[in-house]
Amino acid sequence: MRIPRNLEVWRLGTVNYLKALKLQEKLASDRKINKIPDTLLSLQHPPTYTLGKRRTDYNLLVPESELKNMGAELHYTQRGGDITFHGPHQAILYPIISLRDIGLGARKYVENLESTMTELSSLYGVKAHGQRKCETGVWVGDRKIGAIGVRISAGITSHGLAFNIDPDLTFFKHIVPCGIADKDVTSLRTETDLVLPDDEVIQEQLVSCFARLFGYNDIIWKDKNVIEIDG
Amino acid sequence: MALRIWASSTANALRLSSATGPHFSPLSRSFSSVLDGLKYANSHEWVKHEGHVATIGITHHAQDHLGEVVFVELPEAGGSVTKDTSFGAVESVKATSDINSPISGEIVEVNSKLSSTPGLINSSPYEHGWMIKVKPSNPKELEHLMGAKQYTKFCEEEDAAH
Repeated sequence: MRIPRNLEVWRLGTVNYLKALKLQEKLASDRKINKIPDTLLSLQHPPTYTLGKRRTDYNLLVPESELKNMGAELHYTQRGGDITFHGPHQAILYPIISLRDIGLGARKYVENLESTMTELSSLYGVKAHGQRKCETGVWVGDRKIGAIGVRISAGITSHGLAFNIDPDLTFFKHIVPCGIADKDVTSLRTETDLVLPDDEVIQEQLVSCFARLFGYNDIIWKDKNVIEIDG
Repeated sequence: MALRIWASSTANALRLSSATGPHFSPLSRSFSSVLDGLKYANSHEWVKHEGHVATIGITHHAQDHLGEVVFVELPEAGGSVTKDTSFGAVESVKATSDINSPISGEIVEVNSKLSSTPGLINSSPYEHGWMIKVKPSNPKELEHLMGAKQYTKFCEEEDAAH
């Protein structure tokens, strides 16, 4: 008999990158000792460039000092993947879940993250696809609409996915996004003919796609102010 | 599963072994992705204990579930590892996954080939894809690890769970 699985979703609004990282680290260690259930952070970031464990900063095309002038931060992280940009109107999901509990490996987990974004895209009539060999992420034709960068430590996930609802795509011109030089970045706004609802609605839909794909029976929604969580 | 166990018992009965040591069964390798003579952790690392040195890597099951490994981060020789603690990481499909040591000890050698050819972990997880060699500080820890049959069953149960 299958034990029902719940997903606790924290709606965090816009959060500074480092604050979100600190929160994830705390939640991941709580999750490891089963102090909390599988938890999903749903948020956006102010303009932020991030690098993965391989530190591929040769894919940053402008000096770091110029980023400050643009009003953007730069952070080095332990996640997989190359350089990317996060900013307003990009939906971020950071699942802090136990892969061991559900018997998923990295490859299948990432495939499910891709499917989360392709399903969401299809709600707006956009035909996106993932599972491109050697190019993890979600694409509409040759244009990238969703990115993935994940960390798995002691079987617990952190970091996650970033889906472009309607971010300022010019920010991507200052990097070789995800280390892929000859492909464009796109957004839901660019690809769909439909009028988009508020970001919050789209983010909730994204969470629902995630929950369904990962087989959660129930979603417990929590609205959190991350400043309160800091303590 | 029955076929695998039959194959490995047959290999053992025929005393098939490779030149590298008496406990390896090449025949069982072609039938099975789990090797006899190794010990296994439930985080899917293997340990080969020969004399005073234990070699550590990740299993076929682990590399299969990771996808193509594009980057490996390993510690330096001279450092130490602690049982059930991370000693390095691999990257595949834009995911970095920690690698845990099944035993404690001093690192005596690190596989330098992995920085230029991380794919060895996928193509040869038990041989050329080895990660570190350790002088075990507490050989009793090896007794708590799984043998081949137990690990095979563990993998099947884990895969069936979802």
